[in-house]
Amino acid sequence: MPRSRISEEFPHGPLHAMLAVAVLVTIYPVLWVFSIAFSGKQSLAIADLPPTPTAGDRLRAVVPWPEKLSVSNFTSVMSDQPFARWMLNSALVAIFTTLLGVFLACTAAYAFSRFKFPGRRVGMMAFLVSQMFPGTLMLIPLYIIIVQLFGLGSSRIGLIIVYATTSIPFSVWMLKGYFDTIPKELEEAAVIEGASAGKIFWSIVLPLAKPAVAITALFSFMTAWNEFILAATFMDKENMYTAPVGLRFFVGGFSQQWGYFAAGSIIVSIPVVLLFLYLQKYLVSGLTAGGVKG
Amino acid sequence: MPAAPAHRLRFLIAVALGAVLGAFLLRGFVSDASRQVADEAQERQAVVTLQALTSLVQRAGGEGDAVRSAVAAWQSRTPSAPQARVFRADGIRLEASTAPDDAGDRAAPRRLRREEKPLYDRSQRIAAAVQTNREEQHARKPEIEVAPAGARLSLAGPLEKNGAVVGIVEIETAPLPLPKPAGWSGFLLALIAPIAVFGGLAFLLGEKRLPLLAAAVVCVAASLSWMGRAAVSELAAQQQRAAEQVAERVRDQATVTRVAATAQGLPGAAAAPGSWDVDDFRQPLGLLTPDGSVNPQRLAQAVDTTARELRRTLLGAGALALALLLLVGLGAFNLVGRSLRRHRQAYLYIAPAILGMVVLVFFPFTYGVTLSFTDSNLYNTGKAISDIWIGLRNYADILGDFAFIKRGDGGSFVNYLNFYWTLLFTIIWTVSNVAIGVTCGLILALVLNTRALALRPIYRVILILPWAMPNYITALIWKGMFHQQFGVINQVIQLFGFPAVSWFDRPASSFLTALATNGWLSFPFMMVVSLGALQSIPADLYEAARVDGASRLQQFKAITLPSLRPALVPAVIISVVWTFNMFNIIYLVTGGEPGSSTEILVTQAYKFAFERYRYGYAAAYSTVIFGILLVYGTIQNRVSRATEA
Repeated sequence: MPRSRISEEFPHGPLHAMLAVAVLVTIYPVLWVFSIAFSGKQSLAIADLPPTPTAGDRLRAVVPWPEKLSVSNFTSVMSDQPFARWMLNSALVAIFTTLLGVFLACTAAYAFSRFKFPGRRVGMMAFLVSQMFPGTLMLIPLYIIIVQLFGLGSSRIGLIIVYATTSIPFSVWMLKGYFDTIPKELEEAAVIEGASAGKIFWSIVLPLAKPAVAITALFSFMTAWNEFILAATFMDKENMYTAPVGLRFFVGGFSQQWGYFAAGSIIVSIPVVLLFLYLQKYLVSGLTAGGVKG
Repeated sequence: MPAAPAHRLRFLIAVALGAVLGAFLLRGFVSDASRQVADEAQERQAVVTLQALTSLVQRAGGEGDAVRSAVAAWQSRTPSAPQARVFRADGIRLEASTAPDDAGDRAAPRRLRREEKPLYDRSQRIAAAVQTNREEQHARKPEIEVAPAGARLSLAGPLEKNGAVVGIVEIETAPLPLPKPAGWSGFLLALIAPIAVFGGLAFLLGEKRLPLLAAAVVCVAASLSWMGRAAVSELAAQQQRAAEQVAERVRDQATVTRVAATAQGLPGAAAAPGSWDVDDFRQPLGLLTPDGSVNPQRLAQAVDTTARELRRTLLGAGALALALLLLVGLGAFNLVGRSLRRHRQAYLYIAPAILGMVVLVFFPFTYGVTLSFTDSNLYNTGKAISDIWIGLRNYADILGDFAFIKRGDGGSFVNYLNFYWTLLFTIIWTVSNVAIGVTCGLILALVLNTRALALRPIYRVILILPWAMPNYITALIWKGMFHQQFGVINQVIQLFGFPAVSWFDRPASSFLTALATNGWLSFPFMMVVSLGALQSIPADLYEAARVDGASRLQQFKAITLPSLRPALVPAVIISVVWTFNMFNIIYLVTGGEPGSSTEILVTQAYKFAFERYRYGYAAAYSTVIFGILLVYGTIQNRVSRATEA
């Protein structure tokens, strides 16, 4: 494997020290969340301070290790709080968003990649420009359409439809790029053997594009799983909250349930963090190629 | 087109389609308008009845046996409202009732039961509405509630004593007559006549395109305008009848209450029965004279307004029908149809996605941009766009206000709601974040790229964690860590003997919290991008450089930096957009504190819409943001194309 030797003669000691500092800064907030989550309390302080704290007390309050280990925050956030329900909402919304979004994106990307038709360039441009529409401009009209027109306020279906359509442009650009790399000869051969266009799409092109489809799907899933503003706007009823809205509910406004928040954050983050670590090399190439999506 | 000209047939189809569309639209709008007039008349009659009863109850003192017998006497002569109830909020007491259910042990007077809470709530709402309107000196909340209850109407209005709301009077009307559907004869005539006439003309004119076009337009336009004119005059007549009905109800109720009052020995006639005809805010409509007969001038005005509105709508419908006619007649549909047929498969594949995008992306965008030309806010959401149209005033207010430093008493201060302040802040925010991200990411990537460095994969996974975590969680974590009393960061500061900082009290420190949060979550992206680029540099290059005797610095400048460029430029471009739009961090960490000084453009727009409820202004604000992004995107496109070429 080719590798640069720019720092070949550098002693590794200082480099490790530097990395150790970076790792400490990076990991501290994560450890902080863990110590709050396992503290069994709702306070956001790691340790309670006496009225006149000494330096030792203060140091204790900084070290990310709970005074008393307890999993009660995890058990009660799942049983006493409606958090399990919020997770279910999030999971259903994310899964169906992925299915619907990928289906819509695959068919459209295939058409954009393979067919020449009037409106093709305009369509691709419109998709690209739509990525720059500010969310705040869309929120009120979307609210009117989804809640007042379709009556889908506080409903998972409404959220699924919105997420799936707003994820289309990015997915289409990503998939089209991949479809373009699949040689046309395969399809031409199939045409000669008398396969229909639908059959070619489903049984030749899609299987070949499996990696790109998988990435797009996982990406849609993560977006839906992490989305906060739209969900907070559409989901009025407490039992229809998604996990992000619920977590904000624990510590937003006058609510200060940091223990629940920390435990919930860990539960919510684990699947996406794992997915992300698995996906990251695809994400980099996809994102830098995909234009100005935020 | 090589095919033989078939202008006559095509125009005949066009005329038919145009006539059908026009006639259907017209009929729809007209029956809507007519139903509105009918509903309004019913509602006005019911309100008159309610107001008459209220005035009677108030004359009877508002409570006690006098009220009960007055209501009973009124009820016996008022078949149009088969039940009435008087509720007093002070004792949570049903004071009088003629409802069939309220007999026997439920007969008034009695305390309200638990299951009758809706009545209590209604009284609270109305009292609050009257209070609000009085305080704001502005009719904003309805003081008379009209709610459909099946085919009936249930109305409630305030019961006042010495100017204070002490309860409500509630009536329920008899089932309302169903509105008569409009006749079909005019509709059919408007449909068939133009087709028949055009058929005849086409036969005479032959295959000549322009004369056929003119004939088609004239036929359809004439028939639609005839139908529209008939509808408008029909509506005027209906309004006349409705006004007379209301006037009759007023006279009737005046008699009923007079008789009921004198039987109880109360002061007889009501002062001005004509003033019973009020709107939801108890403001007189003024369509009747004080003694309760139709005011012909005001009625003519009202008729005129309705007619003008209807005419405008009908003109729009007619224009739509003519547009369809022209499209079909001139063959545009043929063209589109041919293209659709030829590329059937392609359109089939993109149809679902396009449909979704049109309904949920492009339409909302257009709607939002339209909203930006209006004064839409919390108080006028029900009004039509044309009523609240203010043209470019929002844009002028946003872009034309350069005075972001204001002079007041006590020196000058920054107006944090000013667009240019927020823009400046957003630019500072974006530049500093991207700078931090690139610097940290690049340094870490260079370090991690060291050959044979122990533990390298572990470092890499840990350092990438902030990017993997959902950013709203990151934001809330940092918000907690910056807490003034319990936050870890202040503990560290105090550990070194400094006083705790209240981070969100000053713009600069508040900005630092958001910067720290965003810096933490954004450096891994740059790190990963740079690392990828570094690893793809062939080792031979450095080998060759060393052979030529280049120093490490020279190698870095001549090899490393140029190889990083193609990866870093797009990464910077995209992270500028991300940071510019980083809603979650600002919204959740600083929340704009203190006093909106740390808002970026997107959070400011959100606050204008959802906390200050200025929808039109917020829409204009967002459109400006879109403009900025569009300009940025275009420049970026140019630049990247230029660098590629």
